[in-house]
Amino acid sequence: MTPWLVVGLPVVASVVGLAVRRDDRIARVVAVGAGAAALFVALLGWLVADDRAMLVAGPGLRAGELDVPLDLVVDPPRAAVAAVVALVALAVQVYSTWYLAADDRYGTFAATVSLFTGAMLLVVHSADLLLTVVGWEVMGWCSYLLVGHWSRRASARRAALKAFLVTRVADVAFVLGLVGLAAGAGSTSLGLVLDAWARPTECIDAETAAGSSLGGALTLCDAPDARVRAVLLVLVVVGVLGKSAQVPFQDWLPDAMEGPTPASALIHAATMVAAGTVVLAGLFPVLAESPTARWVLGVSVSVTMLLAAVLAFAQSDLKRMLAWSTVSQVAVMLAALAGSPLDAGPDGGLLHLWSHALFKALLFLALGWAALAAGGTAVAALRGSAADAPLLRLAVAAGFLSLAGVPLVVGGVSKEHVLATVWDGAVAADGPGVLVLVALVVTSSVTAAYSTRGYLLLTAHTRGGPEPVTPPAAVRAVLGTLLVLTVLGGLVVLTGTFAVHSVSLLWLLLTAVVVAVGVAVALRGGFDRDPAEVLARRFVPVADRGLGVDLLYRRLVARPVLRLARLVAFVDTEVIDAYVRGTVVGTRAAGWAGQRLHRAERPGAGVGLVLGAVVVLAALALLAATGVLRWS
Amino acid sequence: MVVSLLLGLPAAVGLWLVSGGRAMPVRAARPLAAVTAAATLVLAILTVTGADEVDRAWLPELGVRWSFGVDGISVPLVLLTAAVGVVVTLHAWVELPAGGSPATFLGSLLVVEAGALATFTARDAVLFLVAFELVLVPMWVLVGRYGAPHPARARTEAALRFVLYTAVGSTVLLLGILLLVASAGTADLRELAGGAGAALDGGTQLAVALLLVVGLAVKVPVFPFHTWLPPAHTTAPTAGSVLLAAVLLKMGTYGLVRLPVATVPEGTATLAPALAVAGAVGIVWGGLVCLVERDLKRLVAYSSVAHMGFVVLALASGSETGLQAALFANVAHGVVSALLFVLVGGLKQRWGDVDLAVPRPALRETSPRLGFVLVLGLAASLGLPGLAGFWGEVLAIYSAWAPAADRPRVVLLACAVVAALGAALAAAYCLRVAGIVWAGDRPDRDAPRTPDTHGVEQVLLGVLSLGVVVLGVAPMLLLSTTADAVARIGGGP
Repeated sequence: MTPWLVVGLPVVASVVGLAVRRDDRIARVVAVGAGAAALFVALLGWLVADDRAMLVAGPGLRAGELDVPLDLVVDPPRAAVAAVVALVALAVQVYSTWYLAADDRYGTFAATVSLFTGAMLLVVHSADLLLTVVGWEVMGWCSYLLVGHWSRRASARRAALKAFLVTRVADVAFVLGLVGLAAGAGSTSLGLVLDAWARPTECIDAETAAGSSLGGALTLCDAPDARVRAVLLVLVVVGVLGKSAQVPFQDWLPDAMEGPTPASALIHAATMVAAGTVVLAGLFPVLAESPTARWVLGVSVSVTMLLAAVLAFAQSDLKRMLAWSTVSQVAVMLAALAGSPLDAGPDGGLLHLWSHALFKALLFLALGWAALAAGGTAVAALRGSAADAPLLRLAVAAGFLSLAGVPLVVGGVSKEHVLATVWDGAVAADGPGVLVLVALVVTSSVTAAYSTRGYLLLTAHTRGGPEPVTPPAAVRAVLGTLLVLTVLGGLVVLTGTFAVHSVSLLWLLLTAVVVAVGVAVALRGGFDRDPAEVLARRFVPVADRGLGVDLLYRRLVARPVLRLARLVAFVDTEVIDAYVRGTVVGTRAAGWAGQRLHRAERPGAGVGLVLGAVVVLAALALLAATGVLRWS
Repeated sequence: MVVSLLLGLPAAVGLWLVSGGRAMPVRAARPLAAVTAAATLVLAILTVTGADEVDRAWLPELGVRWSFGVDGISVPLVLLTAAVGVVVTLHAWVELPAGGSPATFLGSLLVVEAGALATFTARDAVLFLVAFELVLVPMWVLVGRYGAPHPARARTEAALRFVLYTAVGSTVLLLGILLLVASAGTADLRELAGGAGAALDGGTQLAVALLLVVGLAVKVPVFPFHTWLPPAHTTAPTAGSVLLAAVLLKMGTYGLVRLPVATVPEGTATLAPALAVAGAVGIVWGGLVCLVERDLKRLVAYSSVAHMGFVVLALASGSETGLQAALFANVAHGVVSALLFVLVGGLKQRWGDVDLAVPRPALRETSPRLGFVLVLGLAASLGLPGLAGFWGEVLAIYSAWAPAADRPRVVLLACAVVAALGAALAAAYCLRVAGIVWAGDRPDRDAPRTPDTHGVEQVLLGVLSLGVVVLGVAPMLLLSTTADAVARIGGGP
């Protein structure tokens, strides 16, 4: 099954959807139909995926010395991720038909979601750095359109701008890093890039065994420059940190909650923020050999996962709480890449991406339902809004259980695997393993605490709670599917799709203890009070502002750049253009002088003219002479 | 034969319209111009597919030949020019500027087209220069007579500045070409590129390259020779702006490829670092000015400076990838800027001015089709993949990162980093425009509404949008056209 079909179907659907956007009914059929078809093809692709990666040739570009094959690749983990992306996208499309039924721009929204899905699937299947950049940037653009979908609201416009600009600034590093990696290989093909930058260990061992020094062996084996590699990988990592909303780029994601809830579900669960994990997983063989890049990644994700978890705990808006939880969970995925040893591979991170997609989509869609009933996403409005609808209550329960990382549900299974691989990495001790491990354990506890809080608030028994809203059967079916997969999805480790070690019972017990601690802390105030009010009342307003990082962005980046821009605009008109205006003045003056001379008395004028003529003629003669000399 | 017709038809009709047929009424002149442009496009396609050429003695005493033909490098530009010719003549149905007889206006458009086609097909250095100069006069008429009527003084000044500034550039270019032709002993561009130019000694090569690069840098324009462009764009009528951006600027970059890069590689290599720095500075400079510029037309003009910076940077890298990137970015900018200028010209026609500080109802609310095209154009301008702008710019950054062996690596590396920063600036100014013009609150019921696009304008915007998407989705169409010719230049001594 060609992955081009998986990528192409949503893209075609977006073009067609854009053409028929005026008619909601047709737009709905196109969006949902293409989503279902893409899921079907992606599932087939997963079923038939071989253990060996299969390369599918692309059109290729003739770009001079640079080889640009534009290939795609299929292997089991990629196929599984593609399938879950297609599944979440389909769920979002079905859900939007209900959630945005009254929206006058539903058609545009559905088409953008399709394009977004196509771009993510492209990143997942890309075996070419340039194709990765294509998908990566298109996702950024779609996020701008989706976050700013309700562009009549100033806050949505600002959030969209912020999301795009923050990620785009990080993308400067991303593009430079990938360009540099490609330059080292003379090709944008992922395979060739990995070969070019890998440390030729066998060759080096053989040479050192044969008696040459390490330096000599490196030269003999034509080993890549480790320092250059470190710089390039750090650049790529910085780009990933931007797109995945990791420190110091974290602040755009909570603001992006201004978008419609289905868009948030898509951005958070399966696409944009998770894309960095896929890209770094592709580069893992090289990344694992560069301690510098792993340290940068490790420090950032360690700080991020804990900070975001703490901020999530104290949010007064539950949608923003989910946003911060995404930031924290993506850090967990990336932690697996930063902390796992070379031979363990990147699949621990991909497995967590896979499971996070399921339970986060479930949580967002459930929250959207509850918010529709309650009329807002603030804690005050949402309190108890999931209490009276059994399906919603179950969905919220399963979602938060999974988020908390309780053993056996999908989120628990994947998190245990992340912990286990990072433990291996910490034992091997050639990277930031220990730091990441500590952060992971503490974060697990805090995550359990805010998951408890979320569940308590949504299902609290309040008098005169909001009127229940019942979504149509299709939407309930979608939630039901996600619910079942969230509970049972952990079985995926038995299929052997992800190359992860089996996890011992010890890890199961340990995570259970860590989660229990978090739950116990959250329940200190009893079942009826908001744990954030009990534990961190003063911190809530600070957390709502995201520690005021937005101000920092404005002070440190936006304002200086604008100042510089004003200065440049001034210099442009007053300095650079001045010599142009100067020539005008000069020409006029010369003309005036010439005129004066011409009218003046003969002798003076004659002298002037003759002098001028002599100068011109001399110049011409010189020119002609040099020319003739060379010609002959 | 076909190529003579290709040049002769628009030139003849254009010259007749500005002279004998000056008084022709609009209803006859407009179809005549449009049919001529359409026929020229057909001839262009025939020329390109048949690889037609003409080669006769012209001024035997000077060794100058009447030699026109196409190769991989000129094919995309010939097609672009012919297509833009159709666009601007059709655009006369949308906007026919006051200031003189319509026939003169249309005639000037055709003469510009003919001159540009001659520039792109000329295979003789002197012929190239003559064709190059031929374009200036009708362009001056377009800016000076048919430009924005409001401040008459500003209009005259912009037109004069355009003509004088670029004429100074031409003078330098003339000196360079004369020196090159005199010292190499031939004016044939193919011979010059085939080794006659490279055989010159280092000092001469450097002198020739310096003169050619400076002369052409004014035309492109390369920072810091760019200040004639914004006033010319602001003043010119929409069709003039489109020609200026989509065709005239391309002549400058085309000249850089044909003359210094192809004929005096050694001299160009010496100048490459300076050229690269100028390109990189231009990218950031244009981007920064765009962040605070109030006039939308000026803003698009400054963004052109930034985009041409990418082209120049790619050329300076000296690699085949760089040449491919430059040629692609060149054509892509032609299509994207044509789209943006048709659009912004339309907005100016509707609003009277395009001052971004004046609050207006959001286009997304009042005129969704215009709004859609605006967002598409801005997305292409900020280098979104899948649209025309992306490939040229990303390959330009690559080529600066991995330049030819004889280029100073560190300088070009720094330029690559600066160019990548410029790409982020492009996002900032494009979204600034989108935030002001496209997105906004629901307009009041009684607020004046911007009429949406329809008729000829809608067709033109649609076709240009399609071009932007096709170039972005299938860059191989263009890259494979230019690849062989680029390999010949790159494979030279």
